[in-house]
Amino acid sequence: MAMLAGPAKSEFVSDLTPPPTAPVQKLLVLGLGNDVLTDDAIGLHVARRLQVELADQPAIEVRETAEMGLALLDYICGYGAAVIVDSVQTGQAPAGFVHELDAAALKQLSGRTPHFVGLGETLALGRQLGLAMPEQVKVFAVEVSDPFTLGTQMTPALQAALPGIMERIAAAVRAVAAKPMP
Amino acid sequence: MNPAAQQVWNEASARANAAYQAGRRRFTVDPITRLEGHGKIEVFLDDKGDVERAYLQVPELRGFEVFCLGRPAEDMPQITSRICGVCPTAHHMAATKTLDDLYKVEPAAAGRKIRELVYNTFMLEDHALHVFVLGGPDFIVGPEAPPAQRNILGVIQKVGLEAGKKVISTRRRLRELIAYFGGKVVHPVLGLPGGVSKPLKPEDLPGFKQLAQDGVEFALWTLEVIRQIVLGNPDYVKLITSEAYTHKTCYMGMVDEQNKVNFYDGKLRVVDCNGKEVCKFTAQQYLDYVAEHVEPWSYMKFTFLKPRGWKGFVEGPDTSIYSVAPLARLNAADGMATPKAQAAYQEFYQTLGGKPVHHTLANHWARVIEMIYAAERMQELINDPEITSPEVRRLPTSVPKVGMGVVEAPRGTLFHHYQTDERGLIKMANLVVATANNAARIAMSVERAAKGLIKGGHVTEGLLNKIEMAFRAYDPCLGCATHSLPGHLPLRVNIYDRQRNLVRQLAQD
Repeated sequence: MAMLAGPAKSEFVSDLTPPPTAPVQKLLVLGLGNDVLTDDAIGLHVARRLQVELADQPAIEVRETAEMGLALLDYICGYGAAVIVDSVQTGQAPAGFVHELDAAALKQLSGRTPHFVGLGETLALGRQLGLAMPEQVKVFAVEVSDPFTLGTQMTPALQAALPGIMERIAAAVRAVAAKPMP
Repeated sequence: MNPAAQQVWNEASARANAAYQAGRRRFTVDPITRLEGHGKIEVFLDDKGDVERAYLQVPELRGFEVFCLGRPAEDMPQITSRICGVCPTAHHMAATKTLDDLYKVEPAAAGRKIRELVYNTFMLEDHALHVFVLGGPDFIVGPEAPPAQRNILGVIQKVGLEAGKKVISTRRRLRELIAYFGGKVVHPVLGLPGGVSKPLKPEDLPGFKQLAQDGVEFALWTLEVIRQIVLGNPDYVKLITSEAYTHKTCYMGMVDEQNKVNFYDGKLRVVDCNGKEVCKFTAQQYLDYVAEHVEPWSYMKFTFLKPRGWKGFVEGPDTSIYSVAPLARLNAADGMATPKAQAAYQEFYQTLGGKPVHHTLANHWARVIEMIYAAERMQELINDPEITSPEVRRLPTSVPKVGMGVVEAPRGTLFHHYQTDERGLIKMANLVVATANNAARIAMSVERAAKGLIKGGHVTEGLLNKIEMAFRAYDPCLGCATHSLPGHLPLRVNIYDRQRNLVRQLAQD
């Protein structure tokens, strides 16, 4: 069932192989969201557009998921760097504002977001278990208007802000990709 | 898919979307029912500043029924699995069974077995998540430990690095089995009316057999962890059996024909606080036995046993309040259907002084017993020769009208109910989620905790922590903001005076 048009990457987790213990020199762009919860789809929209825009970059892999919490470990594992795109509601910025955070400083954003609040712990956990966690992680949390009502379309404010959001995040992704990975 | 049917499907979806968008513009949002998707405790004080009433506000999904109107019923397994990122497989399965009922089609035998295999895999994985990441931190690390340690990292420190790796990798492998059949863990395309979409190929059998075997060992190991760290500690045992976390309500759970716990299918059985059977009914009879009471000035809904009538937030042999989830399921059944789980079940009741057990915190232990059953049941199904049969679907032929379906989600009984027109387009859709069944008992737990710690308008330190412990044992479904990694819920406590003015707000990020 296609709820949103646009390229959607398969989320099929591969066969029963153990996770990598050394990261690959690739950047993962991961869009988090839910495409039936109105503005909560923003991370997915950004990921889908980026997938098209960055198709010419073999060192960048763009994925999307509606999973959260501990499951993120499986997605992030094995990449040298990661950029996460998600929604947040701090109430302190207009809809469409892009909060940018380094994973190290994740706790500074005290908004209600279902997906990345646990990211700091996810990374720490992965490292503690000896899994290949990315060295660099950047989070782009887009301020949204309504991530809780059922709906397949985002609010007009967020739709209008999408081009600006894309410009900002695409530029940042290219900058991260250009940095040498450890 | 048949092109003509596909066209009807697409047109219906497009019309539903358009109607929904048109309708939304006229909506005004009622501020009282606006929910932020995180746990909110509402405490109402009397004239003396003591607690009169307290509730845990369970978020409802705004616009759910309107969203479903006009959509093909076959979309419901995907729609409902999308609305909950935590229990997607439970909704998917409840919706699939509702489609069976809607089309009056008995699922093909191999399809039914695959469904039950996937479902038990999900139960094992989700229960493991809860034990180690959500509830476990309280017990494995300790409820008095500093908050910074009461999370999965603290748990790993306690159980050891190798053990930690085992938890993570076992969960990953279980999720891969679910993805094998459904494509995606969160919105699987697995259940169809009359069966499933994909058979199990014989060449893939050995890997899954190994996984089931490892699952049984993993569950037994988890029980050993609980035995050593939790039950071996007298302070924990005292906490589990304390009055603060004990309520004598009825208990509801799904059972098979031998009255043993079954997560996927069976009848719903209710026992009273003395363990005596009160009623037993099918999904189709659900609305004859379960009704909703709406509390004035809070708009909160609480389910209760309809034949007994609403009697208020009371306990005892005549109460119409019941609870669901692991402890309730074990209480409502006569035993577990698999041997190792049955042995653990007997040890549980022997240790805690007989059936039924009324200690809410015993849910954590009951959850581990259910892990053992889920893994053993996976093993039974994977070793069933019919599991690799290609005959996984029986096509429906009836005209749809009404369907009801029930499963046991990790957090308790989950009920779906749809009405459609003769083309199978939704006219009405209603869900009663697991936590709605626990709402009344949760309110009693929260109220008891609040009453002990708020007197004369003065709030004692540690209120948030005690309240959180009171309801976390129920593993409540709090919508999308809940199951993130830090060892606490984004919780807010609103305290109102007699005139319903907000006098104090406590928050925990």
